[in-house]
Amino acid sequence: MGLGFVVGVFGVLILAHAAYSTIQYRGLLKIMEEEFSGPPMNVVAELLLGLALCMWAALTVPGKFLSIHPDSEENRIVSLPANLDFMIFNHRGKLFPPEMNLKLKY
Amino acid sequence: MAGNGVSGASGKKSSDMNDLPTFSAEKLQSNMKVIYYSRTFLSIIGGVIAGILGFTGLTGFILYFLVMAVTSVGLIAKARFSVHSYFDCWNRVILDGFVSGLMSFVLFWTFAYDIVHIF
Repeated sequence: MGLGFVVGVFGVLILAHAAYSTIQYRGLLKIMEEEFSGPPMNVVAELLLGLALCMWAALTVPGKFLSIHPDSEENRIVSLPANLDFMIFNHRGKLFPPEMNLKLKY
Repeated sequence: MAGNGVSGASGKKSSDMNDLPTFSAEKLQSNMKVIYYSRTFLSIIGGVIAGILGFTGLTGFILYFLVMAVTSVGLIAKARFSVHSYFDCWNRVILDGFVSGLMSFVLFWTFAYDIVHIF
């Protein structure tokens, strides 16, 4: 998350720099009394680079996707607790048909 | 000793006979939050870019749709193309933060346009 954050800040700084160069470019155009048709090519390149960096940061910083299936690998809630004295196995659950392979995980 | 469908905050209960798809609603909500943050941040960035480039009118909205489409592709790639193990339907990945992102986009678009081109 730290790296993504730094990349995002860097992208925003690049965008701010592009904005500043566009402001200066407009000042120059005002002196030469020409119309503003579009920012210069290096500003456009800078904007694309800033957009790419921010896009990468926006996809990695907010966090991972968590699987929503209750029976996927990372959602397992089966684990043997340390204290086995209170675990009973002689209940009605043995009447359920075994559907899946239960894997034990410490 | 995992019983049938025992998880912290289940979306729907499942019965043995007709197996309804269960999913964990809190994980789905956390995934939706991730999508929301990503889209909002990218709408803001898209707005700033549209303002800097000096777009007025329809061209800016075209840029917004473009940025949102690339965001959707990026989110699907982040879910490693198996959308159904993280969400319950495709609409959530593609359409979710669209309108709220549009508001932020227009706000930052006018903001950046004013700063760069008017003052």
